[in-house]
Amino acid sequence: MTRARDRRQRDILHNGVETDRRLLDRPRYSEGFRGTVALLPGAAGVSWPGCASGAIRREGGKVTVDLGRCLMCGRCQEAAPEAFAIESGWTRPARRRGDLVTVQGGDVPVASAQDAGALLLEKVGRVLGRSLAIREVDAGSCNGCEVEISALSNPVYDVERFGVRFVASPRHADVLLVTGVGATNLEDALRRTYDATPHPKVVVAVGACACSGGIFGETYASAGGVAGIVPVDVYVPGCPPRPEAVLYGILLAVDRVAPQKTS
Amino acid sequence: MTAPAVRLERLRGELAGRASSVSVKHGNEAHVEAELLDLPAICERVRDSCGGRLAMVACSDERRTKGRYVLRYVFDMVGVDLFVVLSAGVDPAEPSFPSIASLFPAATRYEREVRDMFGLVAAGSPDPRPMVLHDRWPDGAHPLRKDFAIGTRPGGTDARGYEFMEVAGDGVSEIPVGPVHAGVIEPGHFRFSVLGESIVNLETRLFYAHRGVEKLAEGMTLDQALLLSERISGDEAVANSTAFCQAIERAAGAEAPRRATETRAICAELERIYNHIGTLAGLTLDAGFAYGASRLLLLKERVMSLNEDFTGSRLLFGVNRLGGVGVDALLVAGEVSETVSAVLEDFRKVVEAIRDESSVIDRLSGTGTIAPGLAFELGLQGIVARSSGVDVDTRRDHPYGAYGLLRVDKHHDTRRQATEFGVKLAKARGDVLARFDSRVDEVEGSAEIIDQLLVKMGGDGTLTVPVAGEMLEPFASALGYAESHRGRTLHWVVIGDDRDSLLRYKVRTASFANWPAIEVAVLNDIVADFPLINKSLDLSYAANDL
Ligand code: SF4
Ligand code: SF4
Repeated sequence: MTRARDRRQRDILHNGVETDRRLLDRPRYSEGFRGTVALLPGAAGVSWPGCASGAIRREGGKVTVDLGRCLMCGRCQEAAPEAFAIESGWTRPARRRGDLVTVQGGDVPVASAQDAGALLLEKVGRVLGRSLAIREVDAGSCNGCEVEISALSNPVYDVERFGVRFVASPRHADVLLVTGVGATNLEDALRRTYDATPHPKVVVAVGACACSGGIFGETYASAGGVAGIVPVDVYVPGCPPRPEAVLYGILLAVDRVAPQKTS
Repeated sequence: MTAPAVRLERLRGELAGRASSVSVKHGNEAHVEAELLDLPAICERVRDSCGGRLAMVACSDERRTKGRYVLRYVFDMVGVDLFVVLSAGVDPAEPSFPSIASLFPAATRYEREVRDMFGLVAAGSPDPRPMVLHDRWPDGAHPLRKDFAIGTRPGGTDARGYEFMEVAGDGVSEIPVGPVHAGVIEPGHFRFSVLGESIVNLETRLFYAHRGVEKLAEGMTLDQALLLSERISGDEAVANSTAFCQAIERAAGAEAPRRATETRAICAELERIYNHIGTLAGLTLDAGFAYGASRLLLLKERVMSLNEDFTGSRLLFGVNRLGGVGVDALLVAGEVSETVSAVLEDFRKVVEAIRDESSVIDRLSGTGTIAPGLAFELGLQGIVARSSGVDVDTRRDHPYGAYGLLRVDKHHDTRRQATEFGVKLAKARGDVLARFDSRVDEVEGSAEIIDQLLVKMGGDGTLTVPVAGEMLEPFASALGYAESHRGRTLHWVVIGDDRDSLLRYKVRTASFANWPAIEVAVLNDIVADFPLINKSLDLSYAANDL
């Protein structure tokens, strides 16, 4: 098993560089990773009401899966394998919320190794040319998304090499990386953090919760996603998204920052 | 007579004439009903004469079926595998109950929670401030009442304000921090009162990440609630979902197959390993040794990628199913065993290198001390309690699943080891270093448990037993519990009319029990040590806030 071999490292105290140099153009996920849901031809006749996050809908005779809600739990595939397939590639983050909804017969927005690599090549130069300051805000997450965002700073992902830095104050930030449902108790604090961030500012919503409320939906305690509180520029689906997906989302956000800054 | 039976007899004797007779459910739950006003006196007896430690207070709105609210006080009987559940009804016309905070300091937070979520007031409570619901919430709205619609949005803005305790005196100043913090961490507010650099008081304000978990569960099917339980606190997904599944299985009178309990335990120990390594890395980083921290983070990453190979999720989401598990540890036994032993070998080297750095150890030593007596009194759980000499571990005290088959606590294997362990516990100093050392020991312990389990994996390969339909009587209830890397998570479920829903899902995590620890741990330390102390306690905001 190659991944197992990957993990059997050289001497931990003298192992040199362990950073994954091909982070986005070589898949890191294992075969069994539950990354996205594909709609199969059999979905035409199927309606499965059991989805815990309400990601599966039927509109005008067509079945749709909202990957911005999906928990990647795999229950739909178990209930109706002719209609739904869980796949290991991860769902590509998107600028428009609607792009995360797959329609039967339509494209599945999976990040293929090639397009992630292309995106990286196209942008890293620019990102490296400047530094990108990120302020992370937990707006009511389960902390799963925080675990993966923290992983970005470990030696394997090492986001600092792309010029990406986590900063302590919104006043120093270009990007707000927001997780969680948009909790009622945090609404004012999130709004104030947003206001304190200098222009131009970009908000990246990380995880199913931040995209849509995820399993928590919209309730007395949840705004049903952070877009209910502040404007969102990039949506990163997943529950939680893997570190590469968060990085991809940040790179998408760079587009929004760069032109304004150079003008 | 077995030890629990002896304790049960004592309980029966103590409560005779004061409460209903004692009925035992699910093997280790002793249920007693009492009159509301007798509660404080009875709670005191359960504590003083029967060795009860307050484990949880759970309220439920049973107006539809019983015409009243019901409060349940759950006690953990120290030293035996027994819980006592003392219940009393509250008349909706008189929405008040006697506070027991003067007997159990830990009761205060439950009483505040009951006030916010059900609108029942604890008479005589030392702290009647709102807790779960923040300023914008109007009076009279109580989310866990059955007639509260889950979609109700509060209207106002910060109208009410919150009264922090004020520390007055020459030279005392206040430092407010949060709720949005400087690092990649969860939200919470800390208000320090400092004299120069020394912290003379710390008040925490939490529940910023309140997502309405318990209310949401009431509208879900049992399988959906299982997915929700994994998301109470993402890094404790296995522990919380195990506690939930066990509660449902107990309510149904079902038992998960052996292979399932073994797989659950292996995943729970992997969860403990990756999180403890992460916390040790954080401590090492905060103490200024970035190299040691980065080595530990590499090891954490290796365990998380093993998690993914094994379960399809780096955070071990999706392991549990009602009645068993969705993954089979036997299929990946070789890879798990190989990776865990390789990680352990490297872990020892890194820890040795960290311990060689006197600048790190000096920072940890004597910082953030929690005295043993206080740790017991506050009802602290898990590694924080153990590092202050309080000997609690759910895996041993209330053996569940595969832990019943195991030597969980290798220290208790022989008399000599038991004595050594006792001495070690007695020496536990309750400072950041003690918690650092305990975490290191527990990583070793978890690796050994995984080893033991992999060697004797048994059963016929069945991964789940059915838990549904007729097995689940409407209103059947049960406790479920597990020891996460933070300590005991205790869940209580009541099955709904349609046998596939919950009338009530009460969750008491180790973090809820342990948060008060931080306010005492920082006293007389300097502000600059706060991040270190905070990290060493490893408290989850999400698990507390629900
Ligand atoms: S994987 Fe789970 S959450 Fe996602 S669409 Fe299927 S059932 Fe819904
Ligand atoms: S998206 Fe999933 S992992 Fe992230 S905070 Fe929400 S429940 Fe947790």
